[in-house]
Amino acid sequence: MVDHAGHPVRLDSVPQRIVSLSPSLTEMVFAVGAGERLVGRTKWSAYPPEAQAVPSVGDGLDPNLEMVTAQRPDLVVFYHTSANAPTIARLDQLGIASLSVRLDRLDDVSPAVRLLGRVTGDSARADSLAGAFQRDLDTWRGRAIEHRLAVLLLAWDAPPIVIGGGSFLSELVQLAGGRNVFDDLLQSSATVSIEAIAARAPDIVLLVEESEPAVAGRPEWEAVRAVRERRFVRVHGSEFSWPSLRAGQAVAQLTAALTTEKP
Amino acid sequence: MRWLGLITAVAVVVLGAVALGPASLSVGDVWRGLVGSAEGPTVTIVRDLRLPRVLLAFLVGGSLSVTGAALQALVRNPLADPYLLGLSGGAGLGAVSAIALSLTSPWAVPIAALVGAVGAILLVYRVAVVTGSVLDTRVLLLGGVVVGAFAASVMGAIMALSPAPEVRNALMWLLGSFGRASWQAVAIFAAYAVIPLALLYTLARPLDLLALGEEPARFLGADVERAKRHLYVTASALTAVAVAFAGIIGFVGLVVPHAVRLTWARLHRSLLPAAFVVGGALVVIADAIARTAFAPLELPVGVVTALIGVPVFVLLVRQWAS
Amino acid sequence: MGELIVRTEAVRFRYPGAATDAVRDLALSVAPGELVGIVGPNGSGKTTLLRLVLGVLRPTSGTVEVAGRAVSHWSRRDLARLVGVVAQREEPMFPLRVDQTVLFGRYPHLGSLGAPRRRDQDAVQNALERCDVANLADRWVDTLSGGEWQRVRIARALAQEPKALVLDEATANLDIRHEMEVFELTARLVRHEGIAAIVVTHHVNLVARYADRIVVMDRGVARASGPPDTVLRKTILEDVFEWPVAVTNWGGVPQYVPLRKDESDREGTAS
Repeated sequence: MVDHAGHPVRLDSVPQRIVSLSPSLTEMVFAVGAGERLVGRTKWSAYPPEAQAVPSVGDGLDPNLEMVTAQRPDLVVFYHTSANAPTIARLDQLGIASLSVRLDRLDDVSPAVRLLGRVTGDSARADSLAGAFQRDLDTWRGRAIEHRLAVLLLAWDAPPIVIGGGSFLSELVQLAGGRNVFDDLLQSSATVSIEAIAARAPDIVLLVEESEPAVAGRPEWEAVRAVRERRFVRVHGSEFSWPSLRAGQAVAQLTAALTTEKP
Repeated sequence: MRWLGLITAVAVVVLGAVALGPASLSVGDVWRGLVGSAEGPTVTIVRDLRLPRVLLAFLVGGSLSVTGAALQALVRNPLADPYLLGLSGGAGLGAVSAIALSLTSPWAVPIAALVGAVGAILLVYRVAVVTGSVLDTRVLLLGGVVVGAFAASVMGAIMALSPAPEVRNALMWLLGSFGRASWQAVAIFAAYAVIPLALLYTLARPLDLLALGEEPARFLGADVERAKRHLYVTASALTAVAVAFAGIIGFVGLVVPHAVRLTWARLHRSLLPAAFVVGGALVVIADAIARTAFAPLELPVGVVTALIGVPVFVLLVRQWAS
Repeated sequence: MGELIVRTEAVRFRYPGAATDAVRDLALSVAPGELVGIVGPNGSGKTTLLRLVLGVLRPTSGTVEVAGRAVSHWSRRDLARLVGVVAQREEPMFPLRVDQTVLFGRYPHLGSLGAPRRRDQDAVQNALERCDVANLADRWVDTLSGGEWQRVRIARALAQEPKALVLDEATANLDIRHEMEVFELTARLVRHEGIAAIVVTHHVNLVARYADRIVVMDRGVARASGPPDTVLRKTILEDVFEWPVAVTNWGGVPQYVPLRKDESDREGTAS
């Protein structure tokens, strides 16, 4: 068995001590029923609430290997990015199994759940969750909502950082009946100029960060009509922080927020 | 005559930069936008976004160049630039602290950067004032490096302990951006900068003499201690406010003074004004590239100034050496 | 003798933290049209004395006057109109052209903003010509020979239109011709233009040929002071420089010859 990094998963038996180095995968470990066996999580793992009871091993990116190995894990779960390759190589040397899981887009959710289920031992439960999620996703996509609202997803104000088409947030907006004005960008986020934002004339500004960009009242932002008219929509919750089985709740929340707005 | 040519060239650059932007507007649209007869968002884009942004870039670039020229003569080191004196570290620490403390008011980050820069200035000044009121420029250099390094390490600690992509975003801002430009920002910057710029200009002759060394300067009639203090305070004040408005824009303050010395004038009475307009124009060009090269994506303007500044400088030095 | 340009009386100076005085009990007066040489071994207080006279150091006690007024009461600018200095070392950060360098001599006469006036241009031209460097006006100073560079710096000091000229080892690195040219120029300015000159140098023989008076510094005090023939005595020189010398006479001016070890031994047994 290989993981999403093409790296073989060296497990002799079902893992009993799991460390998760990504908040999104911590959530997913609980979802596939292996939460009881989680012995380490990252500092900012916010969901589910039970995750708070699991000891923190610090940062997920560039993790502290001493903290990780101190939990005597038999499996360490990574968010798949090339930045983790050196850490994984170190774990190989230490004889600790690793599992890299791709989780960037909504289409990644089902394969991720299935992979985690297979590795942690309850494939049946995972396959059923994954199957249900995929069916829901297909249904939402099939609804073919007319994309009325032009939405600016703003992550930061100075410099202006927007969410691009590469992010699952862009997909969520699409499913909720909106259109990300920067959905042509392949990046998940990018620095752009206010002029570029003004030129794309968003109807509303969607604010997804916990600490909100302070754009209201700033003279240079008044050139953006949606800001001038204070058409802000705020959404909260970790379901907007990473792709997860809770995407449905996120879409529902967004749909409700967007349908009260007029183009 | 020479000046007329230079100012015309700079005016062309400024107008050209107003004509360029991620929103594709024709020259006619831009003109109608400027005079206010265009329709829809064009007037807003040209008048309220591009024009103040170009002007702010010009003012900041000019101020940084003038400051670099003055500091190079003050510390008698051709590698001196406006950020040499620990300012960038102090400003960065201020900005990162503001974000780590979740201060979210619109001006929180610039003001915190300003406070950090001024804090670094005072600390370096305190270190460098050895006895009484004598400012030792060698200690000033060392103090700047040390305070800058210390601030950078505190900043690193805050970043390591903070949750947030927000803190990284603050660093993005520090790399230099005129995204905050507005007429309000232009007015505040211009009102603030005019006094230090004028004061620097009155110090043009002492600067000529200081470049010879402190003792020769004294014997040629310069009030060296007073001139050094005024230079340090004005240069710091200009840089701090430039950082607050636009983050850290490297290479302008280092390269432009040398380029102007090699091609235009070495006496500060002409060097300073020429460095102001050339530095302003360079940053306007850099910002135009930052806005348009990968539109709608935007590059940090400091990256672009280095990309333009370094090759131009290498060419100049080679030409001059031969 | 008219009004003195420089007058010091009972001047004492001690560097902070030092155990002994760098200069003590020093009286020096220099009148217009007078060339005064200051000689002495390394560390004898020559440079400290100059720095006191130029107002860079404040005496611990005693008075230093320039043109009849305490030097500390002059602003640097006014002092620069009275005294032109050619300092020991000077490395321009950003080399200029010769005429620009000499224009610096006009800075004490210019405001902080105004452009150089006709009068300033004339003074620069005049200084260039008097120092025989007018033909170098467009050259970059970093392309000059050592002698040319020193003459340019003297021209700059002259452009200040000073009443006194101070040369601090200004000929230290020059060959004979260039060194002689600097002395000739200085002497000419003193004789024909009534400028006062203070020349600090290690070249005792040369300054003896040109100076009206010589001050021999030794461990912070003026060991001897007066016309060359009264000062450059064998006993004084041997005592101050701690080396055996013979003193000869060249056209009425004493000249010293440092002795080789074997020569001094022979002389010692002879006496």
